Amino acid sequence: MSRFYRTVSNKRQRERILPLLFVLSIIVSACGPTWFTTTSSTSRPITVELFFHSGQGAERAALNATLQAFNDSHPNIRVEAVQLPEGSYIDQVNVAAMSHSLPCLLDFDGPTLYNYAWSGYLIPLDKYVSSQMRADFLPSILQQGTYNHHLYSLGQYDSGLGFYANKQYLREARVRIPTINSPWMLSEFNDILARLKHVAGVQYPLDLNMYPPGGEWFTYGFSPFVESFGGDLINRSTYQSAMGVLNGPNAVAALTWFQNLFKQGYSNPWPASDTGFTFGHAALNWGGHWLYAGNYQALGDNLLVLPAPNLGKGAKTGMGSWNWGITSSCKTPDEAWQVLNFIMSPSEIARMTNANGAVPARKSVIARSQLYAPNGPLHVFALQLLGGMAEPRPITPAYPTITSAFSEAVVNIVAGFNVKKELDKAVQKIDQDLQDNQGYPTGQ
Amino acid sequence: MTLQLRARTNTKATLKRSRGNRKEQYLSWAFALPALTLLLIFLIIPFVLAISFSLTNQRLAPGPLPTSFVGLLNYTRLLADDTLRRALLNNSFFGIVVVPVETGLALFLALLLNQKIRGIAVFRTIYFSPVVTPLAVIAVVWSFLYNPSQGLINAFLQTISFGHLGPYTWLNDATLALPAIMFLSIWQGVGLYMIIYLAGLQNIPESLYEAARVDGAGRWQQLWHITLPQLRNTTFFVMIATTVQAFKLYTQVEVMTQGGPNNATTTVVWYMVNQSIRHLHVGYASAVAVVFFLIVLIRVIPILRYVVKAEKREV
Amino acid sequence: MALITRKVRASVPAHKKATHTPLLPSSRKYVRLALNYLLMSLLAIFFLFPIVFMIISSLKSNENQLLQDVTTVRALFPYGDLSLQNYDDAFERFPFGLYLFNSLVIVACIVTLGLLVNSLIAYALARMPFPGRKLILILIVVLVVIPFESVAVPLLLLVNQFPWFNGATTWINSYQVQIIPFIADAFSIFLFYQFFIDIPKDIEEAAFVDGASRLRIYWQLVVPLSRPVFITVAIWQFLTHIGDFLWPLMVTRGDTYRPLMVGMRIFFAQAPLHWGDIMAFASMITIFMLIVFLLFQRWFLRSVASAGITG
Repeated sequence: MSRFYRTVSNKRQRERILPLLFVLSIIVSACGPTWFTTTSSTSRPITVELFFHSGQGAERAALNATLQAFNDSHPNIRVEAVQLPEGSYIDQVNVAAMSHSLPCLLDFDGPTLYNYAWSGYLIPLDKYVSSQMRADFLPSILQQGTYNHHLYSLGQYDSGLGFYANKQYLREARVRIPTINSPWMLSEFNDILARLKHVAGVQYPLDLNMYPPGGEWFTYGFSPFVESFGGDLINRSTYQSAMGVLNGPNAVAALTWFQNLFKQGYSNPWPASDTGFTFGHAALNWGGHWLYAGNYQALGDNLLVLPAPNLGKGAKTGMGSWNWGITSSCKTPDEAWQVLNFIMSPSEIARMTNANGAVPARKSVIARSQLYAPNGPLHVFALQLLGGMAEPRPITPAYPTITSAFSEAVVNIVAGFNVKKELDKAVQKIDQDLQDNQGYPTGQ
Repeated sequence: MTLQLRARTNTKATLKRSRGNRKEQYLSWAFALPALTLLLIFLIIPFVLAISFSLTNQRLAPGPLPTSFVGLLNYTRLLADDTLRRALLNNSFFGIVVVPVETGLALFLALLLNQKIRGIAVFRTIYFSPVVTPLAVIAVVWSFLYNPSQGLINAFLQTISFGHLGPYTWLNDATLALPAIMFLSIWQGVGLYMIIYLAGLQNIPESLYEAARVDGAGRWQQLWHITLPQLRNTTFFVMIATTVQAFKLYTQVEVMTQGGPNNATTTVVWYMVNQSIRHLHVGYASAVAVVFFLIVLIRVIPILRYVVKAEKREV
Repeated sequence: MALITRKVRASVPAHKKATHTPLLPSSRKYVRLALNYLLMSLLAIFFLFPIVFMIISSLKSNENQLLQDVTTVRALFPYGDLSLQNYDDAFERFPFGLYLFNSLVIVACIVTLGLLVNSLIAYALARMPFPGRKLILILIVVLVVIPFESVAVPLLLLVNQFPWFNGATTWINSYQVQIIPFIADAFSIFLFYQFFIDIPKDIEEAAFVDGASRLRIYWQLVVPLSRPVFITVAIWQFLTHIGDFLWPLMVTRGDTYRPLMVGMRIFFAQAPLHWGDIMAFASMITIFMLIVFLLFQRWFLRSVASAGITG
């Protein structure tokens, strides 16, 4: 008890400090927010708010340049861009949708668009897009943006997926260079991996970009393997169930083969970073167009870009990428369209695709692109898209569930769990979601 | 001790006065009002909302299908949910191991640091430093340390065991992932409880020890019969704090393992957040929240009894 | 052996701090002392190595070398190209200063307002006649159990509709949404309550007899006496909220109101991934926290000792 009697003598000091603190804190909390709140300008220019996923540095820079150019050339419209972290982008968009605070313009990764379209968050763009403009876009872009017979989005670029290869390692292992018409076959590929393992300097022959684990990459990058084995993520004739397809014999065979890649030491299941290929520890890198800039910077002329393998039922690769739409809560859709139209103009598409190495969405831009011209390094990606080897991810509002279920199954499969059991669990989750939402009826 | 005497004679007078004083009553409500209002608006009402959500199939962002009342459907689904069962198991396992280990280790460190030798303050600061580092930062650094092929921990184990131990896949191994997280949680938290024990130790009157030594008690007897009983309240507090920490486990799972591998590290709070924000099943997540609240509440009833006892002591 | 604990000799002063309870006996003093130091040093290494690893790695500007060193003892030693390059990169890519400022403003407001609000209600519960007092006490203890995550979504729906003084129609993306919901805290109230009921009533009774109002008693008498518990609660709340991540992520967009933890996670999710940059960001946060702690440590340690948690 003595502790109380000791401190009473300092009462005067305390008397002075605490009230002051109290008053200060009131001031800060009441006035603080108004000091720092940026009131949105209600003067002449109309503000269009925009969310975009903040991923690759070069992409961010290109988009910022595009928006700056727009602001400069359109004095009556001001674009306010908010960049959201890519990792939690969908979470934040969901929260925004829930609190009715979605912006006017928004970008989404590939097939996540359908859920928003089905939920009524987007307006169709049909009335804005002229038939001339339509003709210039890649068919895959239009297919990606179309849901329930309406066009809901446009993208500046489509994606390319294939092998990046270290030419020198391949030469040392005497590996055949594949072409679009003659890709690597399954047994040949297994043999190649075994040979590459013995090349000096190679720690793991195949870098599958396993870091960070999970996420959309696992679905985008690895479902082509499943499809090449003859399996799929969902029954595409009705989009009502994944039973027998995702856990069917082909899919199981595909993911068993995939699991063995790690068991046999051909790939590192849990690398600490994504630098295996660029630091020269891997001979092959299965990755998308976004890796081109980094890989080229690391390997220079030693870099080769090769087509997807044929694991049984034809070579399959991925497609689809980030695309833009206008929200139904937008109060100024016409102005928002002006922004979107500007973003989709050939010059701005060229600016973006030069920065991130993606396949330009407009044929006019492809023709002028250095990377994608017939003798350009990434021409193989364009060929894969035009040649029908690219398989779109499932076009259904159930996609978010499909991708999270598949991705999680792959994470567990890589950790060594039973392939059939994991796929059964994934199917159960997908089918449950379809059931909960009554099959995502499109009504009208 | 004249002050003590005064207390006793005034007690009756005090009781008489406070019982009849209306003004006091109004004032006491005024004192309590800010906190009560805030708690009502920002904790109680949302929780009630959550309960009401649990009886519907509320999605995070409403769509064309209307949110409808589904009664106890979420709760029945909950009972059959394997993931939730695993999460409860994980939380319980975490609590059963971490609470005694962290408490015991904190006590041990406090006893160790309660010596008057040179430089003891430096060690005290060092042992406390993990506590001031934000948990998210620690989770990121440790996930690097636990990396199977490029992690310091595996490298260390292999070196000291000449290659016999490991390499272990830690966060990707179903049996090692949760222990790995428990280890780093103890590492981060024990410093704080050590300080609390230290304070407790320093509050034990030296006279008790002197009397014991005079009576011929040895070191261990002093520890057992004086130190530990005197630290009973402190121990109680530390155990409550570590138990609450065990049940609220979220950050480490979110940053390091996302519940994997195969739900080995899924905790109830993490599962709840994942279901509502990522899978949009707000209705179901709310049901999980309600059930979890009830489960933890049952464990908290001893605290209630303790508080009520303290109440009686005060009156 | 008779139970000694209750027998306190009247001639010996009631309170002398027991600081000298050595863990190991004093015979063969120097060997024991050396073993003591050895044990404590090993423990020190155990507690320090991740932080040392983090800071050392942040100084290695060559990413390849950083990754190689990680599997050797060189991870804990400065080796190779050392520079502040990673710190430059981190600062360049992210407004670290803004995030830090936001975090500090938010936590300072939560802590100061919280001290006021929570201590007031605890005092009322501990000292003043209160119809329904027992019920409210039980309610407070029950509320301690509710994890924030279970009310996050409904709370979001609520705050989205609250107006604010500057004309805004929602609280989303502001300072107040990150402060006000956390001011009242059941655990703080509990800590204050435990302390207040231990204060001897005669001090207040003396003031009452002298004619002081209840408010004055609280403000000028009880609060100064309770400095220890105020500091303990302040530090507990500070440590709790400086690491807040989920709620700020849900309610902020853009950099203006974003606190440090959200900024950190964004940073860590950015491609290209450089462990050097990540370690630099993490180190900046940690070093800042360590400095704050070192400055206040003596204050804190003394307060915890008398804060009434221990009996």
